Amino acid sequence: MYQGKLIVIEGPDQVGRSLHTKLLSARLEAHGVATFTIGLARSTLMGELLKSHTHHIHQLNWRTRALLYATDLHDQIQNGIEPLLEAGFVVISDRYDMTPKIRESVRGGDSDWIESLYSEIPKPDSVILLHCGPRRLLNRIMFGEKLESLNNFESGMDMGISTSITSSFLKYQKLLRDEFTKAGKDIGATLIPTRDSVEVVHNKIWESIQPIIGDLIQPINDS
Amino acid sequence: MSKSGILIAVEGMDGSGKSTQAKLLYHWLRAKGLPVYHTEWNSSKIVKAATKLGKQNKRLLPMTFHLIHAADFADRWAKQIEPVLKIGGIVICDRYKYTAMARDGSREVSLETIEQTYSFAREPDLTIYFDVPGEIGYERITKGRPSLKYYEAGMDMGWSDDPFESYRIFQSKVSEIYSQLVKDGRIIRLDATGSVPEVQKRMRVLFNDNIDISEITVIDHADRLAQNLSQSDFDWLSYTGGN
Repeated sequence: MYQGKLIVIEGPDQVGRSLHTKLLSARLEAHGVATFTIGLARSTLMGELLKSHTHHIHQLNWRTRALLYATDLHDQIQNGIEPLLEAGFVVISDRYDMTPKIRESVRGGDSDWIESLYSEIPKPDSVILLHCGPRRLLNRIMFGEKLESLNNFESGMDMGISTSITSSFLKYQKLLRDEFTKAGKDIGATLIPTRDSVEVVHNKIWESIQPIIGDLIQPINDS
Repeated sequence: MSKSGILIAVEGMDGSGKSTQAKLLYHWLRAKGLPVYHTEWNSSKIVKAATKLGKQNKRLLPMTFHLIHAADFADRWAKQIEPVLKIGGIVICDRYKYTAMARDGSREVSLETIEQTYSFAREPDLTIYFDVPGEIGYERITKGRPSLKYYEAGMDMGWSDDPFESYRIFQSKVSEIYSQLVKDGRIIRLDATGSVPEVQKRMRVLFNDNIDISEITVIDHADRLAQNLSQSDFDWLSYTGGN
């Protein structure tokens, strides 16, 4: 049992994970809690390969990809996270084992086998699952002028659901959302929709983690 | 489930001569016109770069060492091994999952975890364990080399500060796991002492005793000839038509 806590924020791209990870981290720091953020494809060992060879990674079979992402997360955990948790840090993981599992299982990957790759990682103290409708995700991408960078893999084009990248994206995201919701409920995650304003979503996240961080935080205004 | 193709694996300690013999087996079967493919441990184009980086930076820990090698294998399994088996060909694997059991197992990853990670890789039709006395393998590897590589010597485990001593400790653990696999009947021991032709002769006997290649469809002669010509340094200028 660690002094620190591990908080996982899961959800699809564009749902607001990284933004809310930043906000949560900043607020915790303001309350005197040291934080550290990890996430997929951020390890010293695998980060470079996973990020700069995305195209190649997407061409790999699901099993190899699952193993590469498992290596990536284990590298971050073994080389950094465990000592930090022991020292009392709050580690926020911007995605953890749920995304790599679901992304492959919707493509026909064996989810029990993928799960076994993660059998020795620390159990999160809290899992927050952010979700919203596929059309909303697509609108955010369009508004952010990133539609042209939408790739075949992230739209599920490789699954042959549709020949149009946008309708493929919508169907693929619907599939992902169903799987995320199911997995989230299974492990007792807090499900938070991100259709509301950033502030409202952030406050819901903050409230949901009070039971695990209540003892760690210091007041901002000591009176 | 009916399985197609023939899967052969060679295993053994460093310096046991298994790679030399596996290539000879490959050339022999190829000369017979059979569809045969040869693949080596840790050779996936995409994964290898990351493994190299991890080794250079001494960043790999037992579990990441385990997973990254499995990733390399999974890539080759999907792109090379399984496809060749599917079309009824022969695949020769220079090191297979038993290497992971021996090496990762020596690094204290549980055998249960290793079996689970590699559960997609079926038992080969024949796995030959090249057995040489520890001293012979040790000498072949260390002779003329001022130092051993960090992971090769198992320095990551902190067994000893001396690479050669660490290597000995590592190899004895590896050997122990291989011996257990031999006892369990999962790999077959081959006496790998003696000259290259002697061992090859023994290997072919073992192969013929265990493997039936009569069902494998030979590649058409015309295709083989075309392939051989396109790969050779045949000098067309001096070709006079022959008779």
